[in-house]
Amino acid sequence: MTPKTTLTFIALPALALGGLVLAQSRTGLPRHDAPPSPSGNLTVALCDGETVAEVPGVKEGETPTPEQARAVADTLMTEWRRKNPNAAWEGEPVRVAQALPREGGEKGAPAAAERPKEGGGGAGGLPAGPQGAVQEGQTYGAFSQRDERIWQAETEKFVKEGHDVFHDAKAFGGTIAVSCDMCHPDAANTHPETFPKFQVQLGRVALLRDMINWCIQNPARGKPLADDDPRLKAMEAYILAQRKGTALEFGKH
Amino acid sequence: MTRGFKSIETKHYAERDAFFAGLGRVSRRSFLKLAGLSAGIALGKGLVTPHSFQLVEVADAAERFTFAYISDTHLYPRTLNDRFVRAILKAVDDVNNLQPQPDFVLMGGDLAQLGRKEELDLGRQILKAVKAPIRMMVGEHDWFLDLGQYWKSLFGAESYSFDHKGVHFVTVMSVQEKDFWTERGFTPEQRMQTVAGLDNGIQSRFEVGEAGREWLKNDLAKVDKKTPVVVFSHSPLYKYYRPWNFWTEDADEVQAILRPFEHVTVIHGHTHQLLTNRIDNIHFHGMLSTAWPWPYAPEGLPKLTIQQNRADPFDQFDGCGDGSVDVVESGLVNALYNLWDRNPVTVRASYVASSGAQEAPPRTKLPSY
Amino acid sequence: MLRDRTRTALGAAAALALVTSAASAPVPKNLPRGVSEVLYEIVVPPGAEPTPEKVALGNKLFNEKRLSANDQVACATCHDPAKGFVDHKPLAEGIAAPAQRTQRNSPTVLNAMFNAAQFWDGRAPTLEEQAKLPILNPIEMGQKSPDDVVAKLRGISEYRSAFQQVFGHDLTYDDVAAAIAAFERTQYAGDAPFDRFVAGDEKAIDESAKRGWGLFNGKGRCNACHAFSTVSPLFSDQKFHNIGIAAHKTDFIDLARKATAIVRSGDLKQIDELAIQSNLSELGRFLVTKNSNDIGAFKTPGLRNVAVTSPYMHDGSLATLWDVMDHYNKGGVPNPNLDGGMQRLGLTEAEIDDMVSFMASLTSAKLGEFGKQEMARQQARKNVRPERDTAVATGKKGDLGDLAPTPDRAKPAAFGVLVRKGTSYD
Repeated sequence: MTPKTTLTFIALPALALGGLVLAQSRTGLPRHDAPPSPSGNLTVALCDGETVAEVPGVKEGETPTPEQARAVADTLMTEWRRKNPNAAWEGEPVRVAQALPREGGEKGAPAAAERPKEGGGGAGGLPAGPQGAVQEGQTYGAFSQRDERIWQAETEKFVKEGHDVFHDAKAFGGTIAVSCDMCHPDAANTHPETFPKFQVQLGRVALLRDMINWCIQNPARGKPLADDDPRLKAMEAYILAQRKGTALEFGKH
Repeated sequence: MTRGFKSIETKHYAERDAFFAGLGRVSRRSFLKLAGLSAGIALGKGLVTPHSFQLVEVADAAERFTFAYISDTHLYPRTLNDRFVRAILKAVDDVNNLQPQPDFVLMGGDLAQLGRKEELDLGRQILKAVKAPIRMMVGEHDWFLDLGQYWKSLFGAESYSFDHKGVHFVTVMSVQEKDFWTERGFTPEQRMQTVAGLDNGIQSRFEVGEAGREWLKNDLAKVDKKTPVVVFSHSPLYKYYRPWNFWTEDADEVQAILRPFEHVTVIHGHTHQLLTNRIDNIHFHGMLSTAWPWPYAPEGLPKLTIQQNRADPFDQFDGCGDGSVDVVESGLVNALYNLWDRNPVTVRASYVASSGAQEAPPRTKLPSY
Repeated sequence: MLRDRTRTALGAAAALALVTSAASAPVPKNLPRGVSEVLYEIVVPPGAEPTPEKVALGNKLFNEKRLSANDQVACATCHDPAKGFVDHKPLAEGIAAPAQRTQRNSPTVLNAMFNAAQFWDGRAPTLEEQAKLPILNPIEMGQKSPDDVVAKLRGISEYRSAFQQVFGHDLTYDDVAAAIAAFERTQYAGDAPFDRFVAGDEKAIDESAKRGWGLFNGKGRCNACHAFSTVSPLFSDQKFHNIGIAAHKTDFIDLARKATAIVRSGDLKQIDELAIQSNLSELGRFLVTKNSNDIGAFKTPGLRNVAVTSPYMHDGSLATLWDVMDHYNKGGVPNPNLDGGMQRLGLTEAEIDDMVSFMASLTSAKLGEFGKQEMARQQARKNVRPERDTAVATGKKGDLGDLAPTPDRAKPAAFGVLVRKGTSYD
């Protein structure tokens, strides 16, 4: 590999570690050559075309260890920040693996962990409106209170539609005015948390929607709904919603 | 039989007539002599099946008499739904082929599903085929379309009482509801649809109501405290599960009116499941529905209840049935649940009176709800 | 290979699932497609696995006419290996024939090892117990007692020495039964075109049979009792149902009254005789359990090789598969104990043909030729339909029933079984 390729090769993981998010992107990245070090050490250049650092103890053409790579990346970053004190820079990557509880009951008060460490926030110090901060630098993963309310409302609306279909024979196509809630008030005795399981009436391992379709056909004497029928999905949603918090017990007869 | 409503099973019951006529009323001892081991086994299983074979006729003490019931038939017009019609016809056949015939047959309420004239007419027509005299009870499905007008015109007063062989029977209208429809501007059909749904929470909870309690108090005032009392009620007259109206709001007051009597039994409908309870001196027995089974409520199930199996919806009769009630010497009752397609279950007075210590019916090993 | 590994895994799973002892007989390595290893482990008790010597001895006994009192009737007389292990008569005929026939149709031995209980009414819990009874039945093989059988066999030197070799002691009646059972445990019904279809070969059965499979699981309502899964590919739920066949007899109720008076519970011999010889036979499972729900109830037979095991039902009263379909199509024959799952089906003639086609695809490969002949024979009688009642089947008379419309699916195989890799369907 040529030195330049090596540089790129090293620089990319270092960049990944650093979590650099460019404020702008440019088509056609400039190729710049890192000037060779007088001591023959490996030199690493930053993409701004100016900042360069060298990796002590690693000769040109050799591969540094990850620790060495991180050290040089840190050096470059510090140098760059020193040169650009006002730049918006996201520091540590936001860990969003766990859903964090919202702090405060205010509309649009984002949790502290998502607040940027540096700078005055993406809004640049503007006061938050009645719906809270609209965006603070991050687009993806930045769920606001308003977003969550909308999504929850949509889900509940879907569950409500499922409730309506569940309680109305004509809605799901039953022909003898027998609706699901006649045998399953409040979706009792549906046990959605036990699917998939061997369902005796079907003679095979089935999912909840298979059983819903079987019940539509048999006790309710209707035609089964297609797998992607929104009514079927809505009924599933309603049934599952009634069992919120119940532990999964897959396969339980 | 009668015009137009013969079930497909009817012809075969003619054969059973011969059997029942032959067997007659057999006392326990002589039957055991006759049947050898088989009766003992049947006894051990707690099987009493007057509906099929009258394998054993068992009484804790001498029996006074028996009445049968058909309950919660929930009829739609036949052209819309013939499945419920088939079920009530099966129950009528069962009851007509009891040997000996019961003293009377109780219709446990909810004859119609949406209280319509054609549904009530259909039910009345079918019930005309019952040989024994019928005692009617009203359910919420019969009542709330027109607040009982048509039902009363067909069947008379919704609350009444009568004495029979030393027992005081009182049928009490226990599915009154406080007005929830006027403020919402419901039409009668909407009101009925709301009441017909078990889990919507919009309708009020059932109650006997103040007028009803007054009526009951006056009726019972003339009855001696030692006379056995059997109450027919559609709602359970106790508090089982409020969200599904398995509930009587003024149950405490009603039970207080019943408390002074030594032997009180409540036979109730509405719950479509095997249900047994005892509160102080009062025994409560639920009736099966012919139309469909309700699952057990998430909480509040009385612990005396022998739970029925989870019904298999492949078979429209599973979990459904009819039954009969033997009034025994003491004035309490043995309730027989004639579950179609399952082994019958008898819940004896001694079981309830001893709070489950004696003569427990065999518990099923199959999954319950 | 995958199969062995999965077999071990299945075996482990089955061993965990088994409630009784952890040990079980070793499963043969080369089970044909359509025979379940899990079921094998469940039904073959440890110590009862068929060894070649036992099987050879059992085979000999199975065909041995001298086991009967008059030296004319062997097991193979009614369970003819050349004819799918049945005799194609409506009712089995033993030593008392033709004066007296038994009351029951001979079931096949193929797959009998997988039954939860033996006989149409389940009165024998194991193959061994089953083998002992016909030999002692007065009108089947007519021996008076187990001692008679043992004495007779001991008088035959080849048997005396064979038993001594195989079992290590002087032959007993239990040994006779064990040998016959060992032979029966090698008589599988599997390897049918349907099994190849389930394993993924779309061309294994024709379009008519595929539609029939779809109907089997849908409109026909068959799979509830003739249950099929890869773990239990028997096409039987091993339970007892009254489907109205016994109701053909008219003194049905009277029979039950008589039965309650005379049946002694647990007396297998008495029940066997009543079931085979007397008119109480029609009571079916009731003779064994005395549960009123079991009156007229008989075991759901498996459907493998059904094409070659006519006539059908416990009394052989239905001659062809079309008659069988007619019986179900009208919802069986009404009687007070009719299983609540029986309803009129509303199948059209074309649908009936499809379902018969499907049933024909369940014939084991080794009986393939015989199967074709049998189906041709039945097809020739297709227009003679004594059981058909179209008015009831279409709902013009009687009750409508809960008709399940067969869904509109392009791939009927999607109904059932999709597990292919790593099972005997590999």
